[in-house]
Amino acid sequence: MNQFVQVLLFGLTLGGVYALMASGLTLVFGVMRIVNLAHAIFMILAAYIAYFAFTIYNIDPIISIFITMPVMFFVGIAVYWLFFARIKGTARSGELTVLLTFALALMAEGLLGYFFSNIYRSANPPYATQALHFGPYILSAGQFYATLMSIGLIVLLWAFLKYSRTGYAIRATMQNISAAQVVGVNVERMSMVAFGIGMALAGASGSMMSFLFTFYPGKHWEWIAILLALIVLGGMGSLGGALAGAFILAISSALVGHYYGFTWSPITFFLALFIVLLVRPQGLFGKKMEA
Amino acid sequence: MVLLEVDNIRAGYGDGPDILKGLSMEIEQGKTYCIIGPNGAGKSTLLRAICGLLHPREGNVTYKGEILNKLRTDEILRRGISFVPQDRCLFPDMTVKENLRMGGYILRDRKELEDRIEEVLVMFPFLEERGSQQAKTLSGGQQQMLAIGRALVLRPEVIMLDEPSLGLAPKIAQYIFDVIAQLKDAGMTIILVEQNARKGLECADWGCVLDLGINRFEGPANTILNDPRIQELYLGRQKQDRQEKTA
Repeated sequence: MNQFVQVLLFGLTLGGVYALMASGLTLVFGVMRIVNLAHAIFMILAAYIAYFAFTIYNIDPIISIFITMPVMFFVGIAVYWLFFARIKGTARSGELTVLLTFALALMAEGLLGYFFSNIYRSANPPYATQALHFGPYILSAGQFYATLMSIGLIVLLWAFLKYSRTGYAIRATMQNISAAQVVGVNVERMSMVAFGIGMALAGASGSMMSFLFTFYPGKHWEWIAILLALIVLGGMGSLGGALAGAFILAISSALVGHYYGFTWSPITFFLALFIVLLVRPQGLFGKKMEA
Repeated sequence: MVLLEVDNIRAGYGDGPDILKGLSMEIEQGKTYCIIGPNGAGKSTLLRAICGLLHPREGNVTYKGEILNKLRTDEILRRGISFVPQDRCLFPDMTVKENLRMGGYILRDRKELEDRIEEVLVMFPFLEERGSQQAKTLSGGQQQMLAIGRALVLRPEVIMLDEPSLGLAPKIAQYIFDVIAQLKDAGMTIILVEQNARKGLECADWGCVLDLGINRFEGPANTILNDPRIQELYLGRQKQDRQEKTA
């Protein structure tokens, strides 16, 4: 029993970080109907920023979100303006965006590899190797702080969407794009802002990744696969869904890893993906898509 | 006084052909206009072109002497023209109150916005009762009321309604027409696109018949109602359709 709770806690403290990673991806999908396959490579880019901020300037990786988030926000705006704005409204723009994000991911991976090589890296702040003791249970301090920070950011995102004027406009665009236009929402601008926010969340995720996991440019393919599984399970475009999907899969993969060996834990995500697509393609909280 | 003037406009979607092919129309202040015409005549396209959801390729839309062609929808809303599109067009997962708040999205003054929402709730008390209910849980008629209420939050001078009675039971549709009559009494200028030509023309001052992207003919609503050409346009078309189908 103790062991079960221990594994559960391990999964829980990982789930918050997964949720943060998935939240940006699902937000961008919700507003723009774009599956941003480049989301994870931008997380890696942010992880490099956090890594060098730590190794060169000794900036704490958790604190580095104050650098990675604004930087990635503006990278997002630039990417949107340079690429997405141009193909919007053209015939087959739906298919084009998939190819575009794929190409972006490849280009960014190549550039990062060129500049930073493919060496495995990981920032090493003191808490990365510390443990916290809660009675009989042990938590990784790094994971615990990262998950607290992640949940804090998700709550902020939720409050922003729920109460701010821009948040209203973003939700309106997610729910009914033509109704949003009718009440005077500048849908084009909201898409850009949402993409920027999605990238900022990728930035914060990168800060967490920099000390929780080892990373190198090519690693993003593994991450995007996991993240897609999370948001498909939760229902694409649903923030609550991304949160639920992240915790369910983080805990399941931890349990699978514990009882069947860690080589099996990555397969949890793909198994879940298959089952969801077969049984409930719209995900746990998603709506049925119109064709 | 002519409030809104549509002068010889051509408009269409994307790279597609012109839907409106040189359409002209004058809207006078305080009057109710009913636009009728067969499917594909360009009725909805006309409303979309007026409120900036679609920019005319040629010709001008002029409101109080100002050309609206290049303006965005929010700029046109600010000038006093609101649009209630077909199919309710609400935010399904937002509450009734939030939907109304979105109606006043372009207002920056929160206090002002709450006051105006209050006004709308006085007009539609049942929206008050259901304020915290999600819009998707309302019935069709209630959703239509909410869509109209949402447009009224901006206190528009001109309100454009695209088939407000579509898909509603006759009794509920009648209620919608009563509301339109109320708006008319309040001095609002109304442009109504209506599939139910008889009902629509009955509550209008002026009728316009659109066909194939132009203003085929217009006149006082009761004259249009009894015009033999209407019979021909609608019934003749139907006969033709039926023949095509059987052929």
